[in-house]
Amino acid sequence: MKPLMNIALLMWRAERRSFLRGLFLSVLVLLMGAALLGLSGWFITAAAAAGLAGAGAVFDVFRPSAMVRLLALGRTVTRYGERLASHDATLRALSGLRIRLLQGTLQLPFRSIERLRANTFLNRVMADIDALDGLALRLVLPGLAGMSAILLAGLALWVLVSPGIAAVVVLGYVFGPLAVFFVGLRYADKPARLAEAAMQALRTRLIDLIAAREDLTVYGQLSKTRDHVGIAQDRHRTARNRLDRVERRAGFSLDLVGSAVTAATLGLGLTLAHGQAISPAQAAIGVFVALALAEAVAPVQRALTETGRMIQAARRVAPSIAEDSPLAANPMPMLGGSAELRFDRVQYRRGLGQQPVFTTLSFSVAPGETVALTGASGSGKSTILLMAAGCLSPSSGAVTLGGVSIDGQSDDTLQERVTLVPQRHALIAGTVAENLRLAAPLATDAMLWQALNAVSLDQVVQQKGGLEARLGFRGDGLSGGESRRLSLARAVLRKPSILLLDEPTEGLDTATAASVMAGLRKALPQTAFLLAAHRSVEIAAADRVVAVERLIE
Amino acid sequence: MAQSVSADEDFEAPLRSLGSVLSLAAALIWPLQAALIANALAGLLQGREASPFLVAAAFFVLAILRAGLLALSQRKLSEDAEFTLTRLRSELVEREATATGASVIGGPGALAALAGEKLEALRPYLMRYRPARMRVSVLPVVILLITLWYSWACAVVLLMAGPLIPLFMALVGWAAKDASERQMVEIGALSDLLVDRLAALYDLRLIGAGGPVVQSFEHASESLRERTMAVLRIAFLSSTVLELFSALGVAMIAVWVGFSLLGQIGWGTWGQGLDPFAGIFLLLLAPDYFQPLRDLAAAWHDKAAGEAVLDEMQTWRNDARPQLIGDGGAATTWAGPVAIGLRGVVLRQANQRLIYPDIDIKAGTRTALIGKSGAGKTSLLRLLAGLARPEQGQVLIGDEVLSDANADGWRARLGWMPQAPHFLSQSLRYNIGFGQPVTDGTLMRARINGVIAALPKGDLTLLGDRGAGLSGGEARRVTLARALQSAPDVLLADEPTADLDADTAEKVITGLMDYAAEGGTLIVATHDPRLIERMDHVVEIAPDRERVDP
Repeated sequence: MKPLMNIALLMWRAERRSFLRGLFLSVLVLLMGAALLGLSGWFITAAAAAGLAGAGAVFDVFRPSAMVRLLALGRTVTRYGERLASHDATLRALSGLRIRLLQGTLQLPFRSIERLRANTFLNRVMADIDALDGLALRLVLPGLAGMSAILLAGLALWVLVSPGIAAVVVLGYVFGPLAVFFVGLRYADKPARLAEAAMQALRTRLIDLIAAREDLTVYGQLSKTRDHVGIAQDRHRTARNRLDRVERRAGFSLDLVGSAVTAATLGLGLTLAHGQAISPAQAAIGVFVALALAEAVAPVQRALTETGRMIQAARRVAPSIAEDSPLAANPMPMLGGSAELRFDRVQYRRGLGQQPVFTTLSFSVAPGETVALTGASGSGKSTILLMAAGCLSPSSGAVTLGGVSIDGQSDDTLQERVTLVPQRHALIAGTVAENLRLAAPLATDAMLWQALNAVSLDQVVQQKGGLEARLGFRGDGLSGGESRRLSLARAVLRKPSILLLDEPTEGLDTATAASVMAGLRKALPQTAFLLAAHRSVEIAAADRVVAVERLIE
Repeated sequence: MAQSVSADEDFEAPLRSLGSVLSLAAALIWPLQAALIANALAGLLQGREASPFLVAAAFFVLAILRAGLLALSQRKLSEDAEFTLTRLRSELVEREATATGASVIGGPGALAALAGEKLEALRPYLMRYRPARMRVSVLPVVILLITLWYSWACAVVLLMAGPLIPLFMALVGWAAKDASERQMVEIGALSDLLVDRLAALYDLRLIGAGGPVVQSFEHASESLRERTMAVLRIAFLSSTVLELFSALGVAMIAVWVGFSLLGQIGWGTWGQGLDPFAGIFLLLLAPDYFQPLRDLAAAWHDKAAGEAVLDEMQTWRNDARPQLIGDGGAATTWAGPVAIGLRGVVLRQANQRLIYPDIDIKAGTRTALIGKSGAGKTSLLRLLAGLARPEQGQVLIGDEVLSDANADGWRARLGWMPQAPHFLSQSLRYNIGFGQPVTDGTLMRARINGVIAALPKGDLTLLGDRGAGLSGGEARRVTLARALQSAPDVLLADEPTADLDADTAEKVITGLMDYAAEGGTLIVATHDPRLIERMDHVVEIAPDRERVDP
């Protein structure tokens, strides 16, 4: 529950004004509803009493009937405003939550961001964030509004009818639904978790079944895997049935709470009226208000269904949510300059007590020099680049930049000087220019064209409609080789002292690859290049070659 | 379990289901409770003393009955919904298990989404919208008739307000619909946008682009919020119209009842004036005339979501795909001699027919299938494994024709190395042996033991999501180990050395040659000269193609 409360508080603090507006209007709607029914009940009963007493002519009908009309119209209009205000608050919170998630994720260690590349993990995060969307609209706002409306209505009943009836309404409507909510939550917790776990298993196993269908068929495993899907499905059904039962019982209890309060106000009102303590019309107010307030507690059932999911989601997402939102200050001063990158007796182990991945390594890359790392796949070339970028620390030895150890340098300082282009290219949905300006927000169009020219991509971009050509999700719309070159152009815009390239020309034909390598050097004459080389065209572009020898077979 | 939805019936059936009827019955208790309250209050006015305790108790007993009926109805509805969902899910799993080729719906992820959370969207549709529709067709009529019994004037008010509501809602809703549909797409787009950014975050941080990414997302998100609010301003109008009419209807009845009771209005009833009971009763009933309409409006979104899912299900169902040969289960090993033949085989592929030449492959030989990419080499391997059904002609195994009867037994003798394997979300060990013990010998022959030793959890390392954690070369050797594991008589390998560096390729080739040297029949589809030169036979695959007009 605590992570959920924290997220709720975070949302509240960030959007206090819109939340308060939504809350105020929600309370107003509930109160007007109670007032409308209460007033109508009083009006009719009092009118009947006056009619029976033959005093119909002197009864003031105009003020109450005008009030009834006013409340009816006012409530409708307020309801409209309330809907807009609470949805506005929710949308703000929803967008704020996503932004905080991005910011929070940016502050995590590199290792944990890498997990985000896996689709299953991404889907998980998305499902959690979606679950939290209902936090304001279904839990926080209705809960606070319902409570406030009940208390205020109780106050009015105390003054207008009798303290006893006010006490029945407040006590019944506050403690009854609260008890239903918390007891229900306890019983719903386990089946809700089981149902979600079973649903995840169902998805994963079905994906396995379909994606590996041919392999499974050849190995005679198709029926077995299909049965695994069936088992997950059965587990989901069982958990879901239990969850439904809890929800049903909560709904039943909630109905009874409302009816018990109404029955009590009816009984108490009749007793008091028999004793002439209150008039029949006042007794009617109590009953009608009790009926109207059922609306204030109705959201409990829906909230119960979703709170379990929200609690779990909050537990998982909370660590990645940024607490405060400092606008990540990053208008990047572009320190040029040059420095030598040096590896001094470096070793790397994947875990404690494991043998090193490659033989001890010492080399340096001077400004303007190109060094190629060669070696079989899995020998650790990418690992070396990650160490040079400060994303991994060597197990022993030191990586230095201009004589200063990279270890312990802040991300910002390092990123000003070192740029790594990993094997997988990360483009985002948006225009070509947007993708490029991620690296250099202040770059002019001319600078962008220069960078594109350096990687022989300018003509391609021109054909696609220039810098404003739109790319789909993850850079959809460009071929593999084109995406690769766009990532390289982005790196050129950083004007780094050290440029680390992981198999930079993968997917390019030999002629293009050679011209890209030459273009990069021409665009960044003073930069030290370190590349994990796979192809002869990359090795040919290097001044020196460092062979990485794999130790792990 | 409910039998209300039989296998062939469509989804209209639950409309007359027991669950909906029970929910209607629960709603019909309210007039009785209202009469009780009205009678008690009227009694107070007219000096009829009734025991407050008995009145309250009677009201509460009716309430228990009402809540009980409602709970029962929900239980029934929930069972029916579960039954429908289970049936649709099972249908999807069963058919996908033995289908071949891709679905029109999309890849495995899209199908899993359909079977998972999308089908779940049917639940509120079946549980909320359907019973609401039943109530809306009965309750207002009942309340109208009761009202008419006491006062024609009130009945006229209800009659005027009631039918106007759907009309106005339709008008406003119609204007909002188009806008809100676009909106749904955009809200989905915001999620996609977040995934897009999150997936790229690692690399973007490496180029110091963290800040700009957050800012651009913030910008997109903010503009989406503004557009959403613009749409909601119209969309909420339709429910406001509904509430306006119901509020005005109730207020008009309250005012009319008040004036009648005071004796200031003499018309609107059948002769004699309105008594206090009737007045209070009518007031209590009036809101419930509109309630079913409001329930239906609230469930409108469930309907749209539910029907979209049913449409998608139907699209999937209409997509006829060939079934694989056999059923893919474990079977008794087929006992005939290993000799493979192709006789006049024609394979339908999208809008083309591939006409293969007749081919014979003898036991214990090494055969390379070569040809341009896309020539049909992979399809030939799939034909030999019974994973594709020839449109004409026969695949011979020994002297039998490969058919549903012997395909599973034949496959029990095969090893299979696909070019792009999908590993199950299970341990590495399970991915090699499928639950059977894996011997060190197998791992040695596939040259994979070193790789396993270097993994943090050894052969218990979890795979999945396209072999996360394994490089291309490692994944290839895992598929080799899996193929060798069952000591197959025939090994079919698709481009076993593609995209591998020389060192790793050599390891894979040696593993394959060792297998052939022990008497296995090896069939590889390949471009790789290093591999081709070590084979006994080279068969060029260049099937004739014939366009098929759809």
